[in-house]
Amino acid sequence: MGKTSSPAKAKRAAPTAEGSSSSSSLPASISGFTLLPIAYSASATHILYARAHSAPKHKNTKGKQKEKTASLPEGRTLFLVNVPPDATERELTLLFKSCGTVERVVFSTGGGGAAQPEEILENEEESEGESDAEGAAVSQSDGEDEDADTRPKKKRRVAQPEGPQVVPLPSPSIRTLRRTGHTAYVVFLDASSLERALKPPQKPYPWPVDKETPLGLAHYTALYSALRPPLDVVRAHADSWMEAFEHEQAKKRQESKYRKGEAIVDEDGFTLVTRGGAYGKTLGGGVGVASKQFQEEQAGATSKRRRKDKKEKKEKEAFYAFQIHEKKRKELIDLKKKFEEDREKIEKLKQTRKFKPY
Amino acid sequence: MGSGCGHEAKGDDWEGIDGAQDPKERPGNHEGGHSGSHIVKPPTGEELRKIKDATDLYRSTSFKLQIDALLPNVRPKYTHAQPLEAFLMSLHKLLMGLPSVSPQHPLHASRALSQKGIAVPYVRPLPTEDTNWKVSFEKPSEIVLGGSWATKTAVKAKDGAKYEVDVAVEMPSALFQEKDYLNARVFQKRAYYLAVIASAIAESSSLQCELSYESTSGDPRRTTLVLRPVADGSPMDFSKLNAQIRIVPYIGQSPIPLQRLSPAKSNIRTAAQDDESREDPTPIYNTACMLMTTPKSHLLSVHNLKQNVPAFADALALLRVWANQRGYGLGSRMCVRGFEGKGMWWASILDLVVNGEEPPPVSLGKAGTKRKPLGKGLSSYQLFKAALDFLARHNFHEESVFVKAKDGHRFPPGSYSSHEAVFVDSTSSINLLADVPISSLDLLRHDAQATLEALDHSSISEDPFQTVFLKEHRDVFARFDIVTRVDVSSAEMRKASAHLVADHGSVYNALMTTLVSTLRRGLGNRAKAIAVLHPTSDVRPTSQAHPVNPSVVHIGIVLDPEHAFRLVDHGPPAEETESERTKHFREFWGEKAELRRFKDGSIVESVVWEVKNSDERAHIPSMIVRHLLRRHFSIGGDAVQTWQSQYDGLLRVPESISSIYQATGATVGFKAALTAFDALVKQIKALDDEFPLAVLNVSPVSPALRYTDVFVPVAVPVPSRSALPKSASYLPAMEIVIEFEKSARWPDDLRAIQKIKLAFFERLATILMGAVKGLQASVVLGERPDRLEIQDEAALDILTQEGWAFRARIWHDREATLLDRIINDQPHLPKALRRNASGEDARERQAALQAREVYTRRFIHAPRHHRAIAALCHKFAAFAGTVRLTKRWFASHWLLRGHVSEEAVELLCAYVFLRTGTPTSVEIAANQAIAAPGSKERGFAQVVEFLKDWDWTTGIAIPLDNADQTSAATPTPPATSSRDAAWSLTTPFDPQGHMWTSSGPNAVIARRITALAKATWECLKGMETGASSRIFHHPVDHYDFVVELNPAISPRYHQQLDADSSVWASKGKYANALSKDAPAATLPGFDPFAMLYDDLKFVYADTVLLFYDPLGGNRIGAVWQPSLRTPRPFRVLGGFSSMPASKVEAKAKDKDKGLVVVNENAIFTEIKRIGSALAVRVVPHSAQ
Repeated sequence: MGKTSSPAKAKRAAPTAEGSSSSSSLPASISGFTLLPIAYSASATHILYARAHSAPKHKNTKGKQKEKTASLPEGRTLFLVNVPPDATERELTLLFKSCGTVERVVFSTGGGGAAQPEEILENEEESEGESDAEGAAVSQSDGEDEDADTRPKKKRRVAQPEGPQVVPLPSPSIRTLRRTGHTAYVVFLDASSLERALKPPQKPYPWPVDKETPLGLAHYTALYSALRPPLDVVRAHADSWMEAFEHEQAKKRQESKYRKGEAIVDEDGFTLVTRGGAYGKTLGGGVGVASKQFQEEQAGATSKRRRKDKKEKKEKEAFYAFQIHEKKRKELIDLKKKFEEDREKIEKLKQTRKFKPY
Repeated sequence: MGSGCGHEAKGDDWEGIDGAQDPKERPGNHEGGHSGSHIVKPPTGEELRKIKDATDLYRSTSFKLQIDALLPNVRPKYTHAQPLEAFLMSLHKLLMGLPSVSPQHPLHASRALSQKGIAVPYVRPLPTEDTNWKVSFEKPSEIVLGGSWATKTAVKAKDGAKYEVDVAVEMPSALFQEKDYLNARVFQKRAYYLAVIASAIAESSSLQCELSYESTSGDPRRTTLVLRPVADGSPMDFSKLNAQIRIVPYIGQSPIPLQRLSPAKSNIRTAAQDDESREDPTPIYNTACMLMTTPKSHLLSVHNLKQNVPAFADALALLRVWANQRGYGLGSRMCVRGFEGKGMWWASILDLVVNGEEPPPVSLGKAGTKRKPLGKGLSSYQLFKAALDFLARHNFHEESVFVKAKDGHRFPPGSYSSHEAVFVDSTSSINLLADVPISSLDLLRHDAQATLEALDHSSISEDPFQTVFLKEHRDVFARFDIVTRVDVSSAEMRKASAHLVADHGSVYNALMTTLVSTLRRGLGNRAKAIAVLHPTSDVRPTSQAHPVNPSVVHIGIVLDPEHAFRLVDHGPPAEETESERTKHFREFWGEKAELRRFKDGSIVESVVWEVKNSDERAHIPSMIVRHLLRRHFSIGGDAVQTWQSQYDGLLRVPESISSIYQATGATVGFKAALTAFDALVKQIKALDDEFPLAVLNVSPVSPALRYTDVFVPVAVPVPSRSALPKSASYLPAMEIVIEFEKSARWPDDLRAIQKIKLAFFERLATILMGAVKGLQASVVLGERPDRLEIQDEAALDILTQEGWAFRARIWHDREATLLDRIINDQPHLPKALRRNASGEDARERQAALQAREVYTRRFIHAPRHHRAIAALCHKFAAFAGTVRLTKRWFASHWLLRGHVSEEAVELLCAYVFLRTGTPTSVEIAANQAIAAPGSKERGFAQVVEFLKDWDWTTGIAIPLDNADQTSAATPTPPATSSRDAAWSLTTPFDPQGHMWTSSGPNAVIARRITALAKATWECLKGMETGASSRIFHHPVDHYDFVVELNPAISPRYHQQLDADSSVWASKGKYANALSKDAPAATLPGFDPFAMLYDDLKFVYADTVLLFYDPLGGNRIGAVWQPSLRTPRPFRVLGGFSSMPASKVEAKAKDKDKGLVVVNENAIFTEIKRIGSALAVRVVPHSAQ
């Protein structure tokens, strides 16, 4: 873990380490993270690793990045590692209630906030100089899951206020389980809460279980019925969604300079060549384009083949006597080679005593 | 060495190939070709000839090399023969120096010997005080080393049996009289002769050996003396050779007229039939007599063959290895009855192949023979194959075989009519198959056919050498469709005949012969082969006169699936009431035979087998066996053991549940499910008018609709479902795929398509509910709380009034195109030119890949797979049962669904049925893949056998043939993560073979499956000896921890193997009180345990491996990822719940690193929390 990259935090953690005599044999910090023991029950203690969030300073000057730093303000954001897989925003808020008011919680793998937090994660990792394969794999698979959750936003974007409104499907409070050992950001209202949170507690925090969002059997029963909404709701949702979609499409079409059946000519006088959809022409227009098969063939690096064709034409096989000889000789050599190979294979099998039938 | 040299060599070789030059003239060149490291030279003429020979004469070079590697392993090491020769020399000296014993009464003689601890193995009828013949001894007139040892054709036998060194001792003819052939007198004299030799050897100080008697085939008339070396390291200790000496007395110049021993003569006078006029022939007895004269002539004929046919010895070795692997030889387990001491028979088969048949005498009118001699120059493999070909084609039941003899027939062919099978050797003296049951020959024929099939279809993945020569085929459960274990110790023949016993030499042999022939008659064409299996006879101490026979035998039956499950056996018509035939029929079947009037008006004697359900129908053959054994041999009850019903029980719900089904008027069965499906399709199609698009096709994709669900589908009418206990309330939803006609009105956007599907489902649900009374339908948004926008997720749950649940999905083929466009958005550009996808696009692409995979599997492959598997179920009667058993096995070892998909299991089973080559549809009727199992038990055993030996790093190809598929349309499946796919099961429509294995088993699980299959195989072997089966019991002690779930909550708990019925038995005073206050809604496909398992698997993917029995299991087993148990440095994305390693451990390594270990306790608590109300407790291994 990169101690060099975050010396400040290590220092901050160090003095508190001496004070934590209560939490038995546990060290106060590890690799710059403060340990926050959490009592699941009398016997089981879960460990949260906490650190003040610091936005990466280097590179990545995309606009997105700035947006992110805005959503996770430095100084009052707590970065947590090893969040319980079933944790909800509410539970984390309750957990840190004693330290201060929590503004919001951002889970790294989907849910909650509006940011793209897993990119930050990647940066975290880089800054710690540990971008090994496993980390990458995890962050990638995170990406998959996360993907699903960002999409509703797009849907919302589709349903712009000026268009028809989408009737949402009912969404009762159902817990989302995440992979174990995942991370989260807790944004406090003020910086002092962060300080308090980073101080190792006198005794482990008890884990608050939110009774509102059920777990176990109740969770599955609720999920089952939530996935089977009443028919009229489904209908209203589907109809309104389609309406919004049509609206969106129509708007796009209006905005587009492409018209069906018209060739698109840009200012330099070039005609844009496009291909129609499966059911005739879609947006845009006019000029026909080579078939898909042709395109694929083109993509499949055909240049080499063409060269080969030419070469083949040049020489005839078995034209000269020596060619015939060579060919025959080669065949024989191949025969022998195969024989030798077989023999070697059998030899090998022999050594494994495979030929003792019983 | 330059190119010039190479050229020169080439020129030389050229001539060599043309055959003009002897390659031996240039040994240097030859050597050069080998040693010259990598300068490849063409083979010399000699080498070329070898290679050509190997390919032409031995099917392939590697086959030839394998044969060459095999042969030395099955032959004795003659280099160690020195001590044996010394021993034989002194044995010779001893025997030749034996003093004569003057004639005396047999009982007196035996009394004298028994004082020395040697019993005289007199045969039945035993001599009594008033016998008037005498026994005597004189030194042998000749001693010959005979048998396979002398001709160096000995082949190692199974189970560590020793090589036999036959010492044929000629009894002087002076000891015998002309009338000795009568009433076994000749055998009594032989027995005494043997006993005298035994006592002499026992007393001799020079010969150190263990003495024992052995009776070939348990026939006391063929008792021999066996000498085994004592390992004392003396110069005569030949124990290194793994051989034993067998002393076989024989008659050289026989005073007995040969004509008396013709197979048609009767040589036993029993009290019952004194008058010679109606005597029955005694074929077995006569053959045993004749065998006393043959050792020398057989030795000579084998020797001649060996001299004249170069490949004879090798071919014989191959043939005998092949036979031994299949139990036609000596062995201590599961040997086919009748093939003991039949060395000469195997040699004679080759004799027949090489020399052809003796034509029948001219007087019979038939000219010429059918079998032409094949000539002497064949290779060993060709001879072997020709012999197999003979065995596979020849019908022993109908035709006799006479090997070409020097002097023509000794006995007229007609005289062999009392023999079941006739194969007369080249000396034309004996029928080698006289005591071989014809049904054993049926099995031999079947095996030969199967082997030939394997050899001819070698293109299919496996190397045939392995299965033909190296693999053991004696394991009954994989070999026979029905296996019965019979305890014959209490058997009594219904029609015990003294004559029969006398002919066979012992009651036991007579019993076995009748038993086999009775069964063969009773089963008729239901069975292709019936075999009685038992260990071959063993040695006994010389103080014991009579052989001990195995009291437990196994009866293996290979069924002919076409006839095996016939319900009625017809007998003679009613008009012949008094005829002999009718009497026979009634006598044979006993109370089962009755007169019946059939639909066509005929009134016929018949036997009807009553069955209650289709399960029982498969039991008909074993019912017949049981009935016949009880009727004719009074073997009944516990003495007959079959395993079928045990297996059936695995696929059935407990009695208490099925009685509830009956009470509620449930519909049961695969047929019923299919009918319900058809009805639903009709109802949907009827709605075409009210629907914007016409339904083009509805395809089933559920195992319940293709006969391969573990449990028979059951539909309990919705109103009476409340009668079902909670533990049995599971209602599986059968998946179906609806395809609408093509339309341009579908939106060209993936998200919109999913929404349109929702709209379609809603319409369908509303209309269906309006049109069909009692039908309920609800739209399912997906499986998980979070929605994947571009992936097909929505479905429609349909619950019919009878209680069938379907889950319909809509297939829209435009999705594939749209997804492909996202995956490969610049198809026209070469790969190198494509811009690198940015984060957002990459994620989109990832989602599209996933969606595409789901699409391909769900809509392209699943329906195809369904059709192919359903076709196989129709083609092979035993296929569906095999799949169901195998699924049960995978499930009970907590692997099904979580690690091995049902489809993968179906493909594995299909492989077992199809591996011997796909018979084309025309061939099927005539020749339905010979080796394909005919019962589910055998199918299952073969799957296990296959899994145990399968090297899964190489995939298997399953030749599913599927007429309705257009191979051109096969879409290239998207790249799948191969990390989890250890198995590759390729089919014609899935050339990569990962369609059903992409999500497991991975290498770890695959290794586990191999281990489990091995253990199961051992269990199956154990069942041979009567041990109870633990095949489907899963040991849990190797799990690191086990999550115990509350069985009362699982709606599938009743499916568990040993489900505790008290879980669902109504508790409390009022039996109906509970069911009323909980009117549980019908939830098709709701299985909280499976949901919990899936969640845990997702959450702890990198922490533990989880295992669970989807069929009502109430425990989840877990194994930690091994790497997590050791402290490792802390990382942000460790992927597991960690805690700092305790200081003691940390100190050992460097402290500053901040080591962490997995926080087991916290994980246990988390699991309990996530599964609250489901998980009762988590039991770590230490607490178990």
